[in-house]
Amino acid sequence: MNLDFSFFGEYSSYFLDGAWMTLKLSVFGVLFGTLFGILFALMRLSRIWIVKFIASAYIEIIRGTPMLVQILIIHYGLTNFGINLPAFMSGVVALTINSAAYMAEVFRAGIQAIDKGQTEAARSLGMSRGMAMRLIVLPQAFRNMLPAIGNELIVIIKDSSLVSVIGIAELLYNSRAVQSVTYLPMEPLLVAAAVYFVMTFTLSQLLNLLERRLGKR
Amino acid sequence: MIEIQGLRKSFGSNEVLKGIDATIQKGEVVAVIGPSGSGKSTFLRCLNRLEEPTGGTIRFKDNDVTSAQRELNVIRQKMGMVFQHFNLFPHMSVMENLTITPRKVKGVSKEEAEKIALELLRTVGLEEKRDVRPDSLSGGQKQRIAIARALAMQPEVMLFDEPTSALDPEMVGEVLDVMKRLAQNGMTMVIVTHEMGFAREVADRLIFMDGGYIVEEGNPREVLSNPQHARTKEFLSKVL
Repeated sequence: MNLDFSFFGEYSSYFLDGAWMTLKLSVFGVLFGTLFGILFALMRLSRIWIVKFIASAYIEIIRGTPMLVQILIIHYGLTNFGINLPAFMSGVVALTINSAAYMAEVFRAGIQAIDKGQTEAARSLGMSRGMAMRLIVLPQAFRNMLPAIGNELIVIIKDSSLVSVIGIAELLYNSRAVQSVTYLPMEPLLVAAAVYFVMTFTLSQLLNLLERRLGKR
Repeated sequence: MIEIQGLRKSFGSNEVLKGIDATIQKGEVVAVIGPSGSGKSTFLRCLNRLEEPTGGTIRFKDNDVTSAQRELNVIRQKMGMVFQHFNLFPHMSVMENLTITPRKVKGVSKEEAEKIALELLRTVGLEEKRDVRPDSLSGGQKQRIAIARALAMQPEVMLFDEPTSALDPEMVGEVLDVMKRLAQNGMTMVIVTHEMGFAREVADRLIFMDGGYIVEEGNPREVLSNPQHARTKEFLSKVL
């Protein structure tokens, strides 16, 4: 086995820029994904059947189709209808609709796991439905959901590599660029893998810390 | 204060309440007893519409509870409720349990809410627990906090849904003591209970329910010692 990492000095900026782009995509994906995820979770728990149906259909369709196909549809397919999104935007949209579907299920399960008595107590005191959700149910649900949310965040970071196919210069895309100029098949990919791992491992450690903090209180 | 007419409630095809008529006077303490499945808890939970009645009307003071939409939250503020399983908010301290609703719903200032809460904690004898979380409390302490939490909204009537049924026997007394004092102070109370001794001693009126109907009601001493209906006799012979 013969590995040569001497290229790294010259091309380190590729990896740094790529990692930065991956980070940006992930942060936006997580942020919007969480917001829409909560929305879809609440919709799915709604008593109005059409609202519930829309949320359920959305979740099933997004979870049941490959993200790579979704990315291509959003970036190339939609041009058919005159929707011409810049690559970065397409990437963020794809990550968002995906993580929203998965997050929605995480939130729904978390909300449903909270004892009904909690809502009843809150409502019996005169809180509105929304207030009981916001002040009583969600804070408790969030604590239980933290491991599942952490999982989802890690998945988003890794899945963001898929948007390299629409030419976003994120970590994988840049690593492949280095591959092609250096003619090294393995080493640039190993560097990319290592950078992904550093990001996900840091995140999981931070989440462990947060979990312990919340657990103590 | 509360007027119930022809109250019905079904869960699917199972009719649990088959037409209940009752009136609760201001300052009155009414105990509701009956075998499990008689509908007594459902009856109580219909009063503040935690269960949605399928028929009949409930009036609370000048409000129609059964048709209330937005006013329901205001009506509920005036009807405190205590549950069998306490349902304290585990992610908050005792003090926060007592102050969050007055602050967020009624807009009471933090200082004012804490002053009221502290006084209530003193009344239930748990002042020193103000900063702990509910999971460190015993069952009896939890229920006393739950009573204080309901009182913090300064309700005009208190509904108790089997408040001592989930407690270890040695903790029943402390909760009943708090309730007795509440009754002595003139609070209007509706209590679903299995504590016959307590009902006899504290209640002004006893309601016996069976099979979704009110079978018999009257002075607790009279009903307990001299029941008129066969079903009341049968039930009492089993529990007394």
